Amino acid sequence: MTETLTQDRIETLAATDQITLDSAPADKRACIEYLLDLLVDAGRVENRETALEALLAREAETTTGVGMGIGIPHAQTDAVSEPSVAFTRSEEGVDFGSMDGEPARLIFMILVPESGADDHLSILSTLSRALMHDETRDGLYDAETPEDAQAVLKEAVA
Amino acid sequence: MSTERTVTIVPEAGLHARPAATFVEAVNDHESDVQVGHTDEDDLISAGSMIAVTSLGAEAGEEIRLLADGPDEEATLDALERVLTKPEDEIANVDT
Repeated sequence: MTETLTQDRIETLAATDQITLDSAPADKRACIEYLLDLLVDAGRVENRETALEALLAREAETTTGVGMGIGIPHAQTDAVSEPSVAFTRSEEGVDFGSMDGEPARLIFMILVPESGADDHLSILSTLSRALMHDETRDGLYDAETPEDAQAVLKEAVA
Repeated sequence: MSTERTVTIVPEAGLHARPAATFVEAVNDHESDVQVGHTDEDDLISAGSMIAVTSLGAEAGEEIRLLADGPDEEATLDALERVLTKPEDEIANVDT
């Protein structure tokens, strides 16, 4: 079955220890490493270097700044064995080179195994759909704890 | 008036990554407003927004609807069809 961000799966895919509301570094690469380290510390990543290489290769292809103040760095890599999502915020914004010129203030990372192309597209599209709504973005800006942020995501994909 | 066209997505990764970025840039390089959606849904979304296009999750082999409204509808749809029907490794050479 294709994995996606359903209400039932969010606690597994985006566990609260994969969410931090401390402000991320303003440099794009540092921000990507910061999100990756959340997943590493949560025990989701078997090989940090391999995952970082895949993420940076994806960024080199085209930016993952999708506009509306959102960045979604992502990669398919066998450095993970399960699809995993991390989230952080940036107060000053990170330049993800998005076409609308908006710096990213809400930044998600998606890592899925190499074989998980369907999971990848599914998680990315569900997350994007949720984030197009003002109330989702406002809820994530206003969240005071990782639990709050996770609850906003659950509500957004309902 | 507006012009509608249905196109089957060729790039292996679907409408994602470089094909998606090239697609959105092509929309914004033209004067017509373009909306895009799945063929089995009535809802259309802005094709000039990267997050909206990403939210479609359109896969290779899937048909999508394009609706252009403006002074260069046919030229816009022709350019978008060229982007959507090239294999990913040839995208850089597409004339949009």
